[in-house]
Amino acid sequence: MQPKGARREDVLHVLDQKGGLRPGVVDKVHRETGVPAADIYGVATFYHLLSDPDGGVRVCQGLSCKMAGCDRLMADLRSRDTKATYVSCLGRCDLAPALWDPDGEAVIPQPGLTASHDAMAIDLLGAERPAYGALAAVMERGSDWMVEELERSAITGRGGAGFPAHIKWKGVRSQAEMERYVVLNADEGEPGTFKDREILLRRPHLVIEGLAIAAFTLAANDIYVYVRGEFGRARESMETALAAARRRGDLDHLDGLRWHFVDGHGAYICGEETALLEALEGKRGMPRMKPPFPVEKGFRGKPTLIQNVETIACLPAIVDRGGDWFRSIGRREAGSKLYCISGHVRRPGVYEGPLGWTLRELLEAAGGMVGSLKAFSPGGASSGFLPASKIDVPLDFKSLQKEGSMLGSSGVVVLNQSADMVEAALSQAVFFEDESCGQCAPCRIGTQVLRQTLERYLTSRDVGVLAHLEPVMWGMGEASICGLGQAAHFPLQSAMQYFPEEFGVAAPP
Amino acid sequence: MSQNNGHASQSSDGFIVVDGNELSFREGETVLQAAQRAGIEIPTLCYDERLTPAGACRMCLVEVEGSRLMQPSCAYKASPGLVVRTQTPRVERNRQFILSLHLADNVQDRDEAEDNNPSRLHALAEDYGTLGAWPRVERQRQERPEDTNPFIEFRADRCIACSLCTRYCDQVEAVSAITLAGRGAHTTISTADRLSLTDTTCELCGGCIDVCPTGAMTEKQALAYGKPERELEKVRTTCNFCGVGCQLDLNVDRQANRVVKVTSPPPGTTVNDGNLCVKGRFANDFVHHEERLTDPLIRGEDGQLHPATWDEALDRVVQGLQGVAERHGDDALAFISSSRCTGEENYLFQKMARAAFRTQNVHQCAAT
Amino acid sequence: MTNSIPEIRDADFLFVTGSNTTEAHPIIAMEMKRAVGRGAKLAVADPRAIWLTEIADWHMQLKPGSDVWLLNAMAHVILEEGLESRDWIEANTENFDSVVETVKRYPPEEAEKVTGVPAETIRQVARAYATTPKAGIYYTLGITEHTTGTDNVYALSNLVLMTGHLGVRSAGMNPLRGQNNVQGANDAGATPVFYPGYQRAEDPAVRDKFSRAWGVEQNPNPGLNLNDMMKAMGDGRLRGLYLMGEDIVISEPNVERVEEALNHMEFVVVQDIFFNESCRWADVVLPAACFAEKDGVFTNSDRRVQRVRKGVEPPGQARADWQILAEVMRRSGLEQPDYQDPGEVYAELASLAPKFGGISYQRLDTEGGLQWPVETPDAPSTEFLHKGGVLRGKGLFQAVEYRPPFESADPEYPLVLSTGRTLYHYNAATQTRRSEGLSQKQPESFVEIHPGNAFKMGVEDGQLVDVVSRRGRVRCRAMVSRQVRRGSIWMPFHFPESKTNYLTTDAGDAVTGTGEYKVCAARIEPVLEDAPRQVFPGSYASARS
Repeated sequence: MQPKGARREDVLHVLDQKGGLRPGVVDKVHRETGVPAADIYGVATFYHLLSDPDGGVRVCQGLSCKMAGCDRLMADLRSRDTKATYVSCLGRCDLAPALWDPDGEAVIPQPGLTASHDAMAIDLLGAERPAYGALAAVMERGSDWMVEELERSAITGRGGAGFPAHIKWKGVRSQAEMERYVVLNADEGEPGTFKDREILLRRPHLVIEGLAIAAFTLAANDIYVYVRGEFGRARESMETALAAARRRGDLDHLDGLRWHFVDGHGAYICGEETALLEALEGKRGMPRMKPPFPVEKGFRGKPTLIQNVETIACLPAIVDRGGDWFRSIGRREAGSKLYCISGHVRRPGVYEGPLGWTLRELLEAAGGMVGSLKAFSPGGASSGFLPASKIDVPLDFKSLQKEGSMLGSSGVVVLNQSADMVEAALSQAVFFEDESCGQCAPCRIGTQVLRQTLERYLTSRDVGVLAHLEPVMWGMGEASICGLGQAAHFPLQSAMQYFPEEFGVAAPP
Repeated sequence: MSQNNGHASQSSDGFIVVDGNELSFREGETVLQAAQRAGIEIPTLCYDERLTPAGACRMCLVEVEGSRLMQPSCAYKASPGLVVRTQTPRVERNRQFILSLHLADNVQDRDEAEDNNPSRLHALAEDYGTLGAWPRVERQRQERPEDTNPFIEFRADRCIACSLCTRYCDQVEAVSAITLAGRGAHTTISTADRLSLTDTTCELCGGCIDVCPTGAMTEKQALAYGKPERELEKVRTTCNFCGVGCQLDLNVDRQANRVVKVTSPPPGTTVNDGNLCVKGRFANDFVHHEERLTDPLIRGEDGQLHPATWDEALDRVVQGLQGVAERHGDDALAFISSSRCTGEENYLFQKMARAAFRTQNVHQCAAT
Repeated sequence: MTNSIPEIRDADFLFVTGSNTTEAHPIIAMEMKRAVGRGAKLAVADPRAIWLTEIADWHMQLKPGSDVWLLNAMAHVILEEGLESRDWIEANTENFDSVVETVKRYPPEEAEKVTGVPAETIRQVARAYATTPKAGIYYTLGITEHTTGTDNVYALSNLVLMTGHLGVRSAGMNPLRGQNNVQGANDAGATPVFYPGYQRAEDPAVRDKFSRAWGVEQNPNPGLNLNDMMKAMGDGRLRGLYLMGEDIVISEPNVERVEEALNHMEFVVVQDIFFNESCRWADVVLPAACFAEKDGVFTNSDRRVQRVRKGVEPPGQARADWQILAEVMRRSGLEQPDYQDPGEVYAELASLAPKFGGISYQRLDTEGGLQWPVETPDAPSTEFLHKGGVLRGKGLFQAVEYRPPFESADPEYPLVLSTGRTLYHYNAATQTRRSEGLSQKQPESFVEIHPGNAFKMGVEDGQLVDVVSRRGRVRCRAMVSRQVRRGSIWMPFHFPESKTNYLTTDAGDAVTGTGEYKVCAARIEPVLEDAPRQVFPGSYASARS
């Protein structure tokens, strides 16, 4: 039980300040915050940037980095006596094999980007916007108007779930409770995805203006910006932009609006919105059961809007140019979309196009394949794999769902003929096992079963070891608490479905 | 059992439909609670009525109409008109899936698993069946071998990370001495910095042992004794320490005439609601202590106490007391009893004072 | 207790005073924690920063012995702000006006000077208590073990009566019994004032009833209470003593005088499970069975009669106390039923005491526990008392004035010593110290002392010290801790080799005779022979040092 006056929400920050989980730190944090020592230890061991403060350089072993030779990079680092640790995904798939030095984060070079244009909502290479005109417009027209416009735009959440944004907004507004929060989910970490990073680095003002619009519309007084710990540069960019906006007086009309920047500490799962809330509250980032949903009981048990960076960044354009305009950009579904592409591609990067682009179009924007297309993962690890034959499937929510896949975070990874699908599936299985929060049995144990089975198969090539996978995958999808566990078997399942010969079977299981 | 734990009124706030039966529920109740009250069995591993549900074991998933995914009945709130199914093939397959998965990750043989405490996991596996024996999952969980506390042993290989023990420690005992630690496959139960329990806020109540569904949390001393709980006889009695009157079960080895350990009756059945403190659960060494008095003693001419027969001792008691009364009057005797003895014994004691020795000088240490 | 233990979890306001509940009644504390977890407000009035203060909304850290001031000041606030329950007072109580007059003289600002508790805190707690319908008071020895113990209880009950927090679920006045069967021993008549079932010994009709029932004319002379007995032993009025399960050499205050008095006894019987300290004076020692070796009932704090059941055979020749007593009576010439088991003894008790008339082993075995009064075989268990009004006619307000404790700190004895229990041991620790595990957790006695006082006296944490009062000197280790107030020290009384009760005063409460274990003047003298060491690593108190 938390003692009266304990400062639970400060635990992660104070742990970080004191250098993470080193001898004596738990006790110091306990004395400073009043939180029970065991709770602090439990929290510290959950986040790998805290639990392994001496991990040194982090080497990404996400799918793109794996294919680009992260193992060679690691061997190289170690041969030079550089302390290095594998991590899941650093959000730098364009730089594969990527690394990150916590003691001196390198400047992130510009990836492949769509040339500046004004046909899309975000325009990563666009010029900095002047005064926050969209915010002013919303304040003038009122929050009802804003919600209507949002509904008209038909924008859906860009984080992966694709939930209509206006329903969340209405959900928060319908609560009697007036203590409300807006949370920016900038905990980007899905392998293959680095679009939010680019928005934060290049268009921070879109995000700040979008957040201000959301806070005004929902009558929230506090905005929490949760940026993944490995994106120090992105966070600096946001803070600089906020300071500039304040200096210019862009936010003057929003009295009492408080901005809070919170660092992630190395847990992919905190991209799940309720796990993120737990992290904000200073706890282990384990997803909550839903219902209740955050719009009703979110941060501190109060109504909370949580949106992805890209969703928020679209708001100024929606306000400036109208919801109808935004909706019309998309093909079958509304709006423009940032697509990431990495793997065996000539110009890995972030390309903005109408929602519903096909892989063929995206590859075109990115300079084409290196080698020939064998398979692709359309939307992060959770989306599994599709074969080359699906190159013309629109990359939108519904079309991909029909294919048994998902758009997810639209982090596309392309694999050429050199890829071994068993190894690709194993790479994704390792990711899910490492990033499972461990809360529910299907995911905690299931991810271990998948990884171990694939390893056994890789060494033995004995089809017999795969025998029990079907019920395990079924159960993980059916019984896991959150999306991570529910989707963790997709890579393997889809690989077995589309490339059965590599798993020693003739027909799909 | 006398049940004063429930609400005074049994009023209903609506009805849900479970497997075609209309069940009443009260505001705030979960599907599981409503079903349990109606006698519908839904298996659980991480549920305890004293604790906020974790929804983590996924054993209690049921189908809820209108919901794509199965929902944890332990946490899903009942609402008017909710339609729930607890016996569909999907629900039943999930139960077997969960049990198979846990067994792959745990001690597989029931006898081996129940070397000390009963294992709800293995009992459920027998009741509900599995999807077959799956290859064993490699262990990645940390133990605390250096924990030298006298009572509580944690065996990580049996832990299913259900968090019953940590929630109990946080919410009921409220000392927050243990926590879920690590992440994912490494998730285990730990103290701060993996200290010995005696060096933490732990008050050694042993509640973690009682709530553990697999015997991962177990009693060191009973484990060393070597007889599993199922071979012991439970004798329900009342604790002999403070005035709360906790009900406890003496786990008795009849052959050896020995109290091997003490366990708590299930929550919701007695005044202590499944809880015990360090004294009630662990302070029973005295029962079989070598310093127990085993013979009546009489002080001899030499001024020393010597063993005697009951006949000699009892006669001496009566003679001695009657002698004082004859020399100094009945009221020169005083009788001091103990609030540690039973009601019957205190009754007989005051009766002895008042009827056999005719004095009102009878009292006990009665400050509280 | 007027309420039941399971009601605590539903309370919305808890006023815990003079009770270190987490250590003395851990299971009741769990219920309190549960209430707090639900959102209940908790106010703790205690000279020590006990564990409960961690989760309390208010901690009123009063000076030992200033309870009446604090409680009267709370009453003052309630009346000053018109928060009393007028209709309830009208319908259910008497003598309200006397309290109104008295507490006028106890304004919070003055109370602050005497008690050390900020006036604003007193006001807040008084308001919260008065205005929360489900507000319960919980107290124990910190209230009663004073020369003003009865006054303290009256002052508390005045608060209950003026707010009408009685006869309602989760609201009432709840003394927590310290021992498993204090309630049961009193119920059974092991007190000079009452025959079984609280039938007054001074009432000739009651004595007649028992004379007939037992076939022996009952002695009309008033009996001595425990405190008086100790004095009568000293002055020669008592010459013979029968001790059943009670080690007076450990548990009574001013032990030195008790030991002296025992030397004058002509005949002493000690009946116990261990060779206790009092056995040194015994002419006969009778080996008894412990709770696990016999049948019977215990009655707990909330009047719940519950079964004790035999699990194992007693060691050697040891016998259950009830068997021994029946045999002593038989040999004394008293005609006795030939009791086959304690159930028959209970039936006799129930037949003579209407409050328990409906309780039988059969019912206890099928229904679990029964809370008395249960007067007939079909009467239900009584969950909480005073439902729909005060039990015996009208609730009587008793105005009480502050009187200082028997001893105060002075230049020679500048500290105020209180004594109490710890979680890990129990009373004289005859049972708990025979647990290897508990002795490992808490191996020896200690005295808690505030860092401010310790520094001045040159006492370090873990250092050996002598604690000295006008009556004696006791050696133990110092635990430097902010759990105690500056100027106060605290010791457990569990450790025979460090008998705290050599220090305490036997000045007792005028009504109950209960000794003032909570306040006596003392000083601390460092012993310089060894290096300090940590007393109990990881204990709550050391964490707060």
